[in-house]
Amino acid sequence: MSEPSVDAQGLSKSYKSFFGKGSEVLKDISLQVESGGIFGLLGPNGSGKTTLISIFSTLIFPDRGRLRVLGLEAEKNRGKIRSQINFSTAKANFPWSLTVSECLRHYGMLYGMYGSHLSRAIDESIAAFELEEQRKMKFEDLSTGMKQRLSLAKAMLNRPRLLFLDEPTAGLDPDMAIKTRKLIGRLHQDEDISIVLCTHDMAEAELLCSRVAFLRRGEIVALDTPQNLKNMLRLGERLVILYQGQVDLKAIEQLPGVMACISLPGRAEIVLDRSYDSLDRILKLFAETRIQDIRINEPDLEDVFLELAR
Amino acid sequence: MSLRGETNKYLAAAYKNWIISKRNAFTLFELFFWPMISLFTIGLLTRFLAIGQEMTSYLIIGAISLTMLQVAQIDVAYVLLFDMWSKSIKNTFIAPVRSYHLVFGALIFGIVRGGVVFAILVVVSRYLFGFNFLAGGPLPVLVFLTGVFATAAFIGMTVCISILTFGQKADVAAWTLSGLILLVCGIYYPVEILPEPIQAMARAVPLTYFLEYYRSIFIPGSHNVMMGAGLALLYLALGLILLDGSIERARKTGILLRLSE
Repeated sequence: MSEPSVDAQGLSKSYKSFFGKGSEVLKDISLQVESGGIFGLLGPNGSGKTTLISIFSTLIFPDRGRLRVLGLEAEKNRGKIRSQINFSTAKANFPWSLTVSECLRHYGMLYGMYGSHLSRAIDESIAAFELEEQRKMKFEDLSTGMKQRLSLAKAMLNRPRLLFLDEPTAGLDPDMAIKTRKLIGRLHQDEDISIVLCTHDMAEAELLCSRVAFLRRGEIVALDTPQNLKNMLRLGERLVILYQGQVDLKAIEQLPGVMACISLPGRAEIVLDRSYDSLDRILKLFAETRIQDIRINEPDLEDVFLELAR
Repeated sequence: MSLRGETNKYLAAAYKNWIISKRNAFTLFELFFWPMISLFTIGLLTRFLAIGQEMTSYLIIGAISLTMLQVAQIDVAYVLLFDMWSKSIKNTFIAPVRSYHLVFGALIFGIVRGGVVFAILVVVSRYLFGFNFLAGGPLPVLVFLTGVFATAAFIGMTVCISILTFGQKADVAAWTLSGLILLVCGIYYPVEILPEPIQAMARAVPLTYFLEYYRSIFIPGSHNVMMGAGLALLYLALGLILLDGSIERARKTGILLRLSE
């Protein structure tokens, strides 16, 4: 089995003021990011996602705990680790008056790239992220979507083995967000890199991530594959029935496999556990009514998020 | 890492400062307007007071030093200031670079800009005020310029340390610190006229010795340029150690994240 891309044990972090006062934003975080996968860090605002991704990328240091990145002890190998990783953040910011290609050149130079190798890497990044038309445009004149693309292009410049993406689609319009997600998926497949993705967007996490961790108030409250989390939390399928007439909702609630029943006039939402075959018996209880519409909604990570964020 | 790769890490800061400076009209003010104001003010004052050639050289050396120091130190400080103003500082510090790459890279550009200012001021002072700055020959000029740029590097590093320690509000240090140093090191007057405690401070500033050294070429007097060179080296080393320490501290306190928000 290959070494995990990130191996964190007992990481804790507090932000202290100049005078030493501070609050703990991460508490005893332990997790592993498997090599070659996309790992999602999910959680509400202030849960510590950005802090954790910043620690993983060695931008900031933990107060306590042990961290290995790409098989290297982080504390002793920061330079080696930084040359093999990169990151892209929401609200991408770069020096305003640098053009797209100048910006990439500057950051490429910071990574020790030079000559034709650097020029080729810049051209490839510009082509991969469809920035040809903006090549000579200053950063301050780019649209939000283009700034985000430039941030991703910069993040790929040094051909990282491990990429950190902090809310890469935040603030993008739906079309650009879909394109960016496709780009991330393509990067992961074509370049064979491990990705740690911080996101608020549950659909994005479900689409891209092989494993996810939910953070709440600086602690991991769940860590598994999206499907296992849904199963673990018993977030059943949601059967929605619109009807006219009377139905004994209490009888529905008593049926095996019914986890909950929420009723509104003319509408019933019944949460079902997949492991029971109760659909037939539920529908029999609606036999005396006139069913107008019926839908079954599968639970998604959004439901997991809402459950865990409580 | 190859030598060219390592060299490019230094040149990255010079490249960024060069691109930003050439697109900024205020750069022209830094390069031409303020240096000219400084030189003309002092040059015309020497005419008005009808002071002799020795005193004229004394004051013009001060005016030229002041300008070069300010131009070069701000270029070193710009290496973080530009990142801080554009909130892109974390992109720099996630890259595999060390403080010396940033400082010396920015200093390369500072020396180029300081050199341009120096050339302009030397020509203007020669033709308008009859003072030949280069009369001492190339070696003293080189020693003097090295002293000025070394002091500028230390001031620029101190600005960077202040930013990484106190955050954005500390950027005011970029413009005030050089002023304080110039006041102390006797830019237009001998340090002997300063109060005793400030004289002691002046003796701790390398530029004080380099000014005395270069002035001694035009006005006979003692100097201890070796002490200046020793202090300059000491401060450069100290500056790099403290800057490394402040980067480490900024990573611990998380100020690097706050400077990017």
